[in-house]
Amino acid sequence: MGKQTRRDFLKVTAAIGGTAAGITALTPKQAKAASPEILSEDRMGVLVDTTVCIGCRRCEWMCKKVHGYDAGDIETYSNEEVFGRMRRPQNEGYTVLNRYDNTKNPITPYHVKVQCMHCDRPACVSACIVGAFTKTEKGAVIWDTDKCIGCRYCMVACPFQIPTFEYDKAIEPDIRKCDFCYERTAEGLLPGCVDICPVEALTYGKRRDLITIAEKRMKLYPDRYINRIFGHTEVGGTSWMYLAGKDFSELDFPKLSDAPAPGVSESIQHGIFAYFVPPLALYALLGGIMWVTKNKEKKSGEEE
Amino acid sequence: MKKLIKHIALIIFVSGLINNVTAQTHSKMEFSCQTCHACETPTKSNPCLIPCPREKMITVYQLPEQSPDIIVLDKMKSREDLYEPVQFTHRLHAEMAGMSGGCAMCHHYNPPGNVVPCSDCHSAERKREDISTPDLKAAFHRQCMDCHQQWSEKVECKSCHELNSSGKSAFDKQRKASERVHPPIIEPKKLVYNTPSYEGTLVTFFHNEHTNLYKFECVDCHQNESCAKCHDTRPPIEDENILFAVKHKKCASCHDTENNCASCHTNKETAPFNHKQRTGFALTPYHTKINCVSCHTKAKVFSGLSNDCNSCHESWGPENFNHSIVGIELSESHIEWTCDVCHDNRNFTAKPSCNMCHDEDITYPDYEPGERTK
Repeated sequence: MGKQTRRDFLKVTAAIGGTAAGITALTPKQAKAASPEILSEDRMGVLVDTTVCIGCRRCEWMCKKVHGYDAGDIETYSNEEVFGRMRRPQNEGYTVLNRYDNTKNPITPYHVKVQCMHCDRPACVSACIVGAFTKTEKGAVIWDTDKCIGCRYCMVACPFQIPTFEYDKAIEPDIRKCDFCYERTAEGLLPGCVDICPVEALTYGKRRDLITIAEKRMKLYPDRYINRIFGHTEVGGTSWMYLAGKDFSELDFPKLSDAPAPGVSESIQHGIFAYFVPPLALYALLGGIMWVTKNKEKKSGEEE
Repeated sequence: MKKLIKHIALIIFVSGLINNVTAQTHSKMEFSCQTCHACETPTKSNPCLIPCPREKMITVYQLPEQSPDIIVLDKMKSREDLYEPVQFTHRLHAEMAGMSGGCAMCHHYNPPGNVVPCSDCHSAERKREDISTPDLKAAFHRQCMDCHQQWSEKVECKSCHELNSSGKSAFDKQRKASERVHPPIIEPKKLVYNTPSYEGTLVTFFHNEHTNLYKFECVDCHQNESCAKCHDTRPPIEDENILFAVKHKKCASCHDTENNCASCHTNKETAPFNHKQRTGFALTPYHTKINCVSCHTKAKVFSGLSNDCNSCHESWGPENFNHSIVGIELSESHIEWTCDVCHDNRNFTAKPSCNMCHDEDITYPDYEPGERTK
């Protein structure tokens, strides 16, 4: 995605590190999460209607296909046995569907598509120590595999636990997650999953239009939907938003406040490294302990 | 040359006539214009249509026999067509739709007049400006899946269309299906529900009473029902969590389901509704032919009416009551009198008396005030 290689990055870091280690350590890192101001008013998003989705899993197939993985025979995706257990996105398939009971009409269960939510204020961008992650103006949260050093901070920071890691790769393992089909959309195509969905449970459009549409649906069909758009305000708003027929907590959505997630990760990170005091304090403490135990050993040796 | 001009003129005249007819039927429909149009005077160039889904539904009706047999659904534009186009057995589905919402099941928001092609409102392209209505591919799938998902309990793309790459086709299967006809539905007389209610587990529902006596139309209760309403092969799920309101929804539009449980939930099957037994007022012979609401005019209140005829027919007198309807056509000497001359205190259920004019030996029914008509 980016043009900078890991070698370039290391060179730059080494140069900076040699001359300005003290200075950088003493200035708290600026928030890297996109501030709302740089986001385009016309940024894109997807509205996922979990009451419309029929659970055909064609989005899973298409996702693998457009990202160059072996997607296998499309008809095998009609196999519903996979709904027996909860699944998470993998590093070779950035989206999965999970099934949930519909007590209003047991014959048509709900299906929840799981993938990166593409937060407006993404925690991964903020947590990434090498600046590999970017929130684009148009909505997608993308990352530069060449910059990635595999620290997996993004995995810890993500409130939705989306980024996955290529643990099976010994050499240059990468972080993997939904990239909102960044390359396809740049070509004027729809994201793969949106393109293939037979029922258009995934509506792709400007985020503000999607909110209007979602509100209209909830107003028109109050029996069908609960009155909430997940992702409208959660963690500062997300590009992917959800409508549901029952409480989001019953659909395994995390309970999140409206405060942007970077607030949490940044305060922890900044807390640890604030003005270099905590590391110095830690070294001082460790040094103290070392000194005390050394003295003890000396004493006990003398006694013998 | 003259002939040609004549012909052209005739064609223009006729086509103008046809256009006028459509316009007239369109504007003469019993719907309010505001159901579909946002402005006061919609024109052809600016119809100012309210975007779908509209809050109100209007639609067309056509007999299934007059509708197309098979429609090939191939208007969707996709970069790569994975599946073959569906050969949709339209007539067969139109016949089946008669059991639930009729044409409106699929042809929603169709202005009166002609049947509008689905693609007029639903874009053939998924990438589009107006995303407020689903695109054509989604519109078709949603309509189909609504029933087929419930019908077959699983999602199988190839039951309607095969993969293009497979070299197979579902067309023959669909051709065969188009020859089938759904047998007519026989209306049940009585349905007894065994409910998980704590007191009174049986609910006897007299279907025939609701249609014949209470004059319900099928669609009053059976709206947008899918095939699975009858053809659900799954065992019924007795889930306590299914909301009370959902279960009682259809009954609650007339019955007080919140407070009056015992009127439906009993320990044994109940007898059909009998107006005389329940209220002491027999509907025969005159009142069986009218709707309940003709007398019980207060919405949802069916008690409190008196057995006294005058409580409803206070204004009836010799000038507006055709006495022959009760079986006696009054003679000329009797026809002028007011009712209470014979019917003391306008009590029409008691025996009429003749004493006002006649001697005591003249009594009804030995003597009649006119000619018997039945």
